[in-house]
Amino acid sequence: MNSLLRSFGPYLTALIVLLSGVWVVGMIVGPQLIMVEQSFWHLDRGGVAVNITVQIDNEYNEVDFLSFDKMDLEALAPSAERDMKIAEIDAVIAEKKARIADLEAREVIPEKIYSMRNYTIMGGSHLAIFIKTILASVAVTMIAFVVCYPMAYTVAKLATPNKAALIMLGLIVPYAINELLRVFAWLMILNYNGVANFLLGLLGFEPVPFLESGSGVFIAMVYAYVLFMVFPIYNTIETLDTSQIEAARDMGAPTWQIHRKIVLPHAKPGIAVGCIMTFMLTAGSYSVPYIMTRGTVEPWFTQLIYNKFFESLNWNTGSAYAFTLLIACVIFVFLMMRLFKVGIKDIAK
Amino acid sequence: MSNVSQVAFGRGSRIVLNIYMLIFFTYMFLPLILMVAAGFNEFDTPSVTVWRGFTLKWFGVLAEDSRMWSGLVNSFIIAFAVIAVSLPLGLAGAFLVSRLDSRYNTLIYGIMVSPLLTPGIILGISTLIFWREAGVSGGLFTAAIAQASYISSYTMLMFMARLERQDISLEEAAKDLGASHLQVFRRITMPFLKPTILTASVIALLQSIENYNTTIFSIGGDHTLVTEIGSRMRFGLSPAVNVIGIIFVVITIVCAALYVIFREREKARAAAIAG
Repeated sequence: MNSLLRSFGPYLTALIVLLSGVWVVGMIVGPQLIMVEQSFWHLDRGGVAVNITVQIDNEYNEVDFLSFDKMDLEALAPSAERDMKIAEIDAVIAEKKARIADLEAREVIPEKIYSMRNYTIMGGSHLAIFIKTILASVAVTMIAFVVCYPMAYTVAKLATPNKAALIMLGLIVPYAINELLRVFAWLMILNYNGVANFLLGLLGFEPVPFLESGSGVFIAMVYAYVLFMVFPIYNTIETLDTSQIEAARDMGAPTWQIHRKIVLPHAKPGIAVGCIMTFMLTAGSYSVPYIMTRGTVEPWFTQLIYNKFFESLNWNTGSAYAFTLLIACVIFVFLMMRLFKVGIKDIAK
Repeated sequence: MSNVSQVAFGRGSRIVLNIYMLIFFTYMFLPLILMVAAGFNEFDTPSVTVWRGFTLKWFGVLAEDSRMWSGLVNSFIIAFAVIAVSLPLGLAGAFLVSRLDSRYNTLIYGIMVSPLLTPGIILGISTLIFWREAGVSGGLFTAAIAQASYISSYTMLMFMARLERQDISLEEAAKDLGASHLQVFRRITMPFLKPTILTASVIALLQSIENYNTTIFSIGGDHTLVTEIGSRMRFGLSPAVNVIGIIFVVITIVCAALYVIFREREKARAAAIAG
């Protein structure tokens, strides 16, 4: 705190602390905590509540009938008897309205019960989708690493400066084009009457329902997120002194040994970042499964979360699902940090 | 440090490498080329296998699409709100983390970068829930706040990178000569950060406009350009979507080329200075 005060004085320090506080508490920690809190309770209306709703409906109907009776009476010629009857009906209506108010008061306060129910109701089929999502994301991450490591090494160490600049341009363009459009390009390829099935047809094969089977999601996932692996690895390999590689080669080290002993260890922080980003984006992607599925399959966990929030409007269960996904991602981050022996400061750069 | 010289390698591996690069870039660009081509096809669903002749009519169809235009306006409203929020927050965070000598430093830093490691949909959901507690339902406001929660992390990292290269003694000297903290901040710190403020604004703008996953979970009944594109891909698919693709591809190529040229020039200058 002292160093902050020394640099900025009391007013600016207060402003800095205030803004940081708003961000950390109001936009990061607070929302997460409320989401987690919400995942641990549900509103219980129970059998009694349903009963109350029926009673309220009945009372409303009776009030309606009484109003009609009253209107009939009001249409008659004025007399003492008529006024008395109207007063009688008014009294009954008032009584019933009071009852309705009382019932409604009880109806709108369902019981808030804290439990693990939102997690335990996930059930076998949803759990299977969760596991499938995690495993598929790990697979996408591994494919991305295998595909991207040679490319990153090529740009950083093998290509001439001009060629490297050109390759860089070739990597940045597909990386920067909006994710939805990249997925859309694959929709055109994998659609039932798309390019892939057109080519298969030329070869005499039956059309393959890529979108209806969920395989389209996986193919598009790899394409959409593969490049998030290239740049972090490139950034770390670029800082490796080329003379180290030359020296190893001069001493007779085979290529795979050079990579195993020199390049890969040096690239560890970049690989960790690439894996974390690819996994997180894949597991948390809503756009790809949204665009790449047709029919009834719901192959991706994020779709279940979306449905809980915006279709069945059960935010409590939705929160539990979202928190489950978040935990999976946090575990993955820590696993990568352990595996590649890097700290949080190395990761976020 | 970074080395301009490249590693020498044999002819056999050069062939293997070239084949690998050819496959890689075919894989990367062929889908995009197909998407662009279908935007010029007369046929009224996006396709390249059924070719009905060249046309520019889908550009006209897109230009008359009022929901796309309103989405674009919303995208910019959100983007400017995000810039207005994430620059001060990122700057404050960067100052706090780089100048605070506390044992909680790593923890604070970890929390501030955590949104970058969190799936976007969870940022959207938690913001939506948080503001519902305060009686605010999903819309442009919550979408902007949800986006700003992670875009602030980007701006913070950019400001931190810049601050690392700052010569603190300049500030100290100014203070020794009797300048107030506010004067030092205005005359020395802010001018030093100015280039980063510009680049951070551009990055924040691009990140915000591009965003889908966070936005779709926090925007309620409203729409942005990108969420509208998303729903068109599922319902009411037409080559007008391909035209958007063409526009995005052209903009991206121009920006990326400018970026690469700029970067190469910086590199060359750095090499020249180094000697």
